[in-house]
Amino acid sequence: MKHLSVYLWACLAWSQTPDTDWLHYGRNLSGWRYSELSQINSSNVNELTLEWVFQTNVPGKLETTPLVKDNVMYITAAENNAFALDLATGKQIWKYAKEVPRDLQACCGLVNRGFAMLGDTLFKVNVEATLVALDSKTGNVLWETVIDDYRKGYSATVAPLVVKDKVVVGIAGAEFGTRGFIDAYDARTGKRAWRFWTVAGPGEFGGESWPRDTQAFQRGGGSTWVTGTYDPELNLIYWGTGNPGPDMNGDVRPGDNLFTCSLVALDGDTGKRKWHFQYTPHDVHDWDATEDPVLLDVVHEGRKVKAVAMANRNGFYYALDRTNGRLLAAKAYTKVSWAKDIDKNGRPILIPGQDPTPDGNVACPGGGGGHNWQPTAYSPQTGLYYFTSSDGCHTYYMTNQEYVEGQWYQGSTFNGEGLYPKGSIVAVDPATGDTRWRWEMVSPPSGGLMATAGGFVFGGDPQGYFFALDAKTGKPVWHKQLGGTVIAGPMSYSRNGRQFVTVAAGQSVFTFALK
Amino acid sequence: MRLFCWLLGFLLPAALVAQNPFAGNAKEIDVGRGLFRIACTPCHGIRAQGGRGPDLTLGIYNNGNKDEDLFRVIQNGVPGTEMPGYTRFGDDNSWRLVAYIRSLTLRQEKPSQGSAAAGETLFWGKGACGQCHKVGGRGGPMGPDLTRVGRKRSLAYLRQSVVDPNADLTPGFFKITVVTKERRTISGVQRNFDNFSTQFMTVDGKLHSFQREELNSCEREFTSLMPPYRNLSEAELNDLLAYLVSLRGEVAQ
Repeated sequence: MKHLSVYLWACLAWSQTPDTDWLHYGRNLSGWRYSELSQINSSNVNELTLEWVFQTNVPGKLETTPLVKDNVMYITAAENNAFALDLATGKQIWKYAKEVPRDLQACCGLVNRGFAMLGDTLFKVNVEATLVALDSKTGNVLWETVIDDYRKGYSATVAPLVVKDKVVVGIAGAEFGTRGFIDAYDARTGKRAWRFWTVAGPGEFGGESWPRDTQAFQRGGGSTWVTGTYDPELNLIYWGTGNPGPDMNGDVRPGDNLFTCSLVALDGDTGKRKWHFQYTPHDVHDWDATEDPVLLDVVHEGRKVKAVAMANRNGFYYALDRTNGRLLAAKAYTKVSWAKDIDKNGRPILIPGQDPTPDGNVACPGGGGGHNWQPTAYSPQTGLYYFTSSDGCHTYYMTNQEYVEGQWYQGSTFNGEGLYPKGSIVAVDPATGDTRWRWEMVSPPSGGLMATAGGFVFGGDPQGYFFALDAKTGKPVWHKQLGGTVIAGPMSYSRNGRQFVTVAAGQSVFTFALK
Repeated sequence: MRLFCWLLGFLLPAALVAQNPFAGNAKEIDVGRGLFRIACTPCHGIRAQGGRGPDLTLGIYNNGNKDEDLFRVIQNGVPGTEMPGYTRFGDDNSWRLVAYIRSLTLRQEKPSQGSAAAGETLFWGKGACGQCHKVGGRGGPMGPDLTRVGRKRSLAYLRQSVVDPNADLTPGFFKITVVTKERRTISGVQRNFDNFSTQFMTVDGKLHSFQREELNSCEREFTSLMPPYRNLSEAELNDLLAYLVSLRGEVAQ
């Protein structure tokens, strides 16, 4: 009888918390990072305890969003490492490692943001700009394709996005005078299916936004290092593009510099551009639009609209109609000094005197922007969109720089000396961008977010805390010191009636559950 | 033959010593400045006058003063410190950085007019600087360690720091003030300040640690707890500065 009650209890728990995976970088193809699991909620969050830790022993920043399928967790780490872990114990099942070329240059660490998965095949980029397919059971390489030549300054850090039978990837390297693109590869063979150049060439649509008869477009940046999203109904891929090159010297590239600092909507089969929206024309502050483009529905002027939300690095939150790229709403979510507002067509109304100068010029937001690439979350339960924000300003410097293939080509830098920017986690109404709550942090944030049906927003900070905020109010309800900076986005899954929450911090992966 | 051997003996080692191909070349120095702004400013400051890392405009460096020493440090970093290696820059760019750093030291400062011995007396006596600052193991733990400050900072910077400590704060040495639930106010120098807790040191050398939920308030001000030393005579100030400039890490530990 005693045994029966234990089984009944287990069955009840299982029925309330069925086994749930995490199969995409952004949890679903819309990039919500929302877990419908609610076992961990306000009645028990204080009982959240450590289940296991996996130490990667890989130096460098750990930016992975783990994937979970069957009884295995798949993570990637810096410097071309990846691991499969036993879900119950965190013990290593297999390891993938590939030596990084010694002459590789990358702007911001030899990092990787995670796997994509189709059936039993895993896909990841290697930092020397290759795409590799692994057998999920063994970690054996099925194929590896060169995306482009790392000696030109290209590198790859993005988690791929699987769209039907293709693997879509972006590229990094806009600080090295490269020309950005978005590629799709056949998932079975690794053969490239299409490429969309994010810097328009002469004679192409948008080509007139670059100076004529120069090589500026070839060095025009527009890298695509954060995973996009996909709407199967519209068959459109949404992908953000990075800064124009050189970052802080716009004099060598007069014009709007399409399609840098933009969102592009591409046909899911051909990669052809359906529409684009440029957030920051002729950017000189390194305000990449490589933030999560999150697909959600909003009510606009009384009707339901399929929208795409982005908290842009330039300090404004935007909601666009994702069928045609038209602006629905734009609103500053942090201090902005460079534009008064966004006009009805989506173009910023500039405030003069904000550009970088040789001796330095202060502008806000700072160089990393307001919100940077870190994963964001949308909760259909609260209807709110959550993201991190660096709040403050930087001094921007402009320096003339000659282009040398494969070398840094940034046209100078930005610097926060004496300005002490802070940070926050912001919850906005995605239809309007109105801030509903803001949890202030002591320094610019470092980590990604996840929303859960338990009523929380999980996140981490540079000082090594992993925490849960009340999704309705922003009030912190739980925290734990993990001893290493949290950069990655948290994720959640369930097995045998128990909900787990996992996050990478420092060089390790931590999994929590109720006792 | 003897002359040839002598010459060979002198010239061969000289030829093996690395030469900076870009020394004094204005165009390459400008490229070096661009590289410096990208890679080095987070620690050495936009004007290379130090911060988290040492001042690089003084003409004296922690790991050797020759061009080849600077090149080696840029390439390999300094083990045991926060200075990473930049082999990825390649040889040419490392030499461009050396050329730029060298160009900064051309404007040498006039040495301090004071007496370092008199300044040392002032430091440990009337000035009570040693109450908060350590030199070679002696002194208080609250403020920045000054054992090597003569290598890290210029005379002008040190003068400003003494008379106006808030002009440029040493990162991490900010003022923390908490009010406890018992309404007791405590201020000290930051050791940590995060979203959930703070640790700080008071002038008596005591370390305090609080969770935010234990406190009525917990604030950080970007100011220094050091008082401005404006009451020193010009002669006293010069003596003190002469002593600070003399602190190059060669103090018995």
